[in-house]
Amino acid sequence: MNDTVTLPLTVFVVDDEPLARRRLKELLDDCAVQIELQVVGEAGNGQEALDKLSATPAEVVLLDIRMPQMDGLELAQHLNKLDHPPVIIFTTAYDAYAIKAFEQRAIDYLLKPIRLGRLFEALTRARDAVPIRTELLQELMPEARSHLSVHERGRIILVPIEEVIYLRAEMKYVTVRTAQREYLIEESLTALEKEYAARFVRIHRSCLVAKAAVAGFEKGGEEGESGWLLKLHGLDERLPVSRRQWSGVKALGNTGEQGA
Amino acid sequence: MPRTRSINQNIPLPDFRNLGTVLRMVLLVNGIALFMALAQADSPDGLWQQMLYGSALFQPVLLSTLLALYVLNPWLRRVTYRQAVGFIILLVGFFTLAIARLGGELFAASEGTAGFVESRRCLIAALIALLMLGYFRWRDLALSPARGAARLQALQARIRPHFLFNSINAVLAIVKSEPKRAETALEDMADLFRMAMNDAHELVALKDEVALAERYLALEQLRMGERLQLRWHLRDMPQDALIPPLVLQPLLENAVYHGIEPLAAGGLIEVSLYLGDRRLHLEVRNPLSATAAKTDGNHIALANIRERLALLFDVEAEYRVERGDDSYAVHIIIPYREKEAP
Repeated sequence: MNDTVTLPLTVFVVDDEPLARRRLKELLDDCAVQIELQVVGEAGNGQEALDKLSATPAEVVLLDIRMPQMDGLELAQHLNKLDHPPVIIFTTAYDAYAIKAFEQRAIDYLLKPIRLGRLFEALTRARDAVPIRTELLQELMPEARSHLSVHERGRIILVPIEEVIYLRAEMKYVTVRTAQREYLIEESLTALEKEYAARFVRIHRSCLVAKAAVAGFEKGGEEGESGWLLKLHGLDERLPVSRRQWSGVKALGNTGEQGA
Repeated sequence: MPRTRSINQNIPLPDFRNLGTVLRMVLLVNGIALFMALAQADSPDGLWQQMLYGSALFQPVLLSTLLALYVLNPWLRRVTYRQAVGFIILLVGFFTLAIARLGGELFAASEGTAGFVESRRCLIAALIALLMLGYFRWRDLALSPARGAARLQALQARIRPHFLFNSINAVLAIVKSEPKRAETALEDMADLFRMAMNDAHELVALKDEVALAERYLALEQLRMGERLQLRWHLRDMPQDALIPPLVLQPLLENAVYHGIEPLAAGGLIEVSLYLGDRRLHLEVRNPLSATAAKTDGNHIALANIRERLALLFDVEAEYRVERGDDSYAVHIIIPYREKEAP
């Protein structure tokens, strides 16, 4: 016997369908007879889940894959940024692609309608499991993330990628600029450029701009060096375009002006 | 017992009251006339002459045949295909002879042996009629996989794993706390499956299709709750109208799957069914999320509806898609057919 007192396993439920959450909580109640556990909360979408889990961490998150706005595979990556990343057990009604991938990588998942026995097994295993690595989750989701997540005063904020006007590398951070404000994220600009190749274009060694935000160009220069400055939709700022990137960027201005 | 009009006997006969059928016949017969003129002419003037002459011979037979078929259409649909074909051949032969005998100078067989010329014309007319029927038969065969496929697709969509398992999951969630509601949900599911497994060849009453659609939406609402809002505009709906089965419900399925599910806050689906200009209008409108607007989505179901409408109503059916920045609407217009009196 173990000498240490085992605390109840804390569990959190994420699903966009209220009845699916209700069913899962009923099953968890049934499990509680055999395994000490406590349901610490539930959420219907990504931001709600991040907010509640920052306030009350849980060891295990039961996470639905198919949800509006942000699917479970992406939310799992953002959940990994929490101070105490949870062990995730995915739930899905059907998702041929994901299930195959989970099996190859030995990631736990539950098929809806969920059976009590399977849930019990998964929870028992979860006690000793470690969170799924972010790189593994990225492999599971070949398409780009729909949101960037920002750590801010103990909270994790989701920024929809379509609101981002530009991304600029500064020291060890990347500044994320939207029409309203700036955020700082700890990601590499090169990785972001690769992930969002369809949406952003590099205009400078340290800057990616959303193609849709390009309003045009004007002659100008910084520190005596003459060159091109990029004008933006929705922001008064001007961004310098480096000589190296100019040839690839200038065509965007034409289409931008026609579109304007 | 009310008898719904069969839209498919063992072998279907074209609907001779359909504008598309009539247009196809006029174009084809004149095309053949032109071809024959080309085959016979040896000078440009001759070609012109032959065309005029051929047209003068063909047109009266064609028009009287079309008129007779229009009038006899309901009767023709009741006899077997063989009987109908035999009758149409006789009809065409009769008109050819009658016009040659009674049409006066222009139509009379002036040269050669009158008897031979007359039987030659009858034979040509009969061959053209057969060719025409053969064409419609071929067209029907070419398009008819759409009918079988509709059933299969409706079934697959119903058994779309996502829908099936999530619905069962939702029912399981309420089976203890709200057994009545769980019962209704299971009954709705049974009805949906039954409809999809039914023979999709008969026209069905519009109000039955509406009832089925309501069952389907009740199930979706069970899962999605407040997120799925509905507005029905049925005040001007003709109660007795007949429509092909599995047209309305797949449209709604599409609207839910591509319109409501991707939206976190959900949205409104609007269904309008009304009679306008003696035609039946079906319109389904749903919101479109920014991401769904970009992807093409699964339009197999919609393509299938379109094919089946073309097969059933030819040019008399219209199918329009309005794609806005944040909304998507499918508008279908089909001829208004009433339920036959019992």
